[in-house]
Amino acid sequence: MSTAPLEVEQPDVEEVVETDRPWIVIVWNDPVNLMSYVVFVFQKLFGYSREKATRLMMQVHHDGKAAVSEGTREKAEADVARLHAHGLWATLEHPS
Amino acid sequence: MSARFRRHGDGVIVSLATAEVELLRSVPAELQTVLAGSSAENDPVYNRLFPSAYLDPTEENAEQEWQELVHPELLRERLAALELVATTLDRAVTKRGRAELELTSNEVHAWMGVLNDARLALGTRLGITEEPEAEEFDASAPDAAAHDLYAWLTWLQNDLIETLLGE
Repeated sequence: MSTAPLEVEQPDVEEVVETDRPWIVIVWNDPVNLMSYVVFVFQKLFGYSREKATRLMMQVHHDGKAAVSEGTREKAEADVARLHAHGLWATLEHPS
Repeated sequence: MSARFRRHGDGVIVSLATAEVELLRSVPAELQTVLAGSSAENDPVYNRLFPSAYLDPTEENAEQEWQELVHPELLRERLAALELVATTLDRAVTKRGRAELELTSNEVHAWMGVLNDARLALGTRLGITEEPEAEEFDASAPDAAAHDLYAWLTWLQNDLIETLLGE
C-alpha cells in the first residue's frame, strides 16, 4: 500500500444539505386550466398513473396547491420549466 | 365520444364546421401579437404565460438565471406551436360543409398548447374566475365576443383532452 499521504476529500457541506432536503415543485390552483388538462399534463410530464395524476389535480383544486415532484434544484427547475411550457402555474421551493 | 376529434393511430382526425376553422385561424395570429408585444413585465397576460419559478425573494439571482436560461426556449416553443397550428389549418379539406384534417401526435401537441395558451391569455384578460359564468349572458357587453370565444375554446380543448384520455 502506498504510504503517500491520503488526500481526504472535504465534504461539501452545501451539497450535502441540498441532497438531504430535496427541492419541491408546487403547482398552484388557477381559474383557467381545465381539471382534465391538469391531469393530462401530470400524466404526460411525470408518467404518473391516472389515479395519482387525478389525486394531485384534486389537491391543487381543493387546497390551492400541491407538491407534484421533488429532487435537486436543477431537476426542480427543469420540472417547473416543463410545467410552465404547458401553461401550469408552478414554482419551486426548499422547505426549511 | 367527440364528433370533432377522433383518434387515429398516434394522431387525431379533426372534423370542424368551416366557421370553426375560420375562428381558429384567428387564434395563432392574435397570440403571436400577445407574445411579440409582451416584453412589458407588468402585463398580467405575459406574467401568466411566463410566471416566476421562485416565490422566495432571496432567490432573486437564481430566478434571474433561470429566466435567462429558460425564457427564450419557452418563447420559441410557443411561437413554433403557433406556426405549426396555422400550417395544419391550411391543410383542412372541406367535405360536406365540414373541414377535415389529420394531425400527427406532434401536431396534436401543438394544438393542445395553443388552445391552452389562448385560453390563458383570454381568461387572464377577461378576469375569469372559478365561479361559473353568469347565466344571464349579456350579449351587448363590450367583451361579449371575447367571452364567447373563451367558452368555445374551452369546449374545443375539453373535447381534445377527452379524445386523448380515451373517454
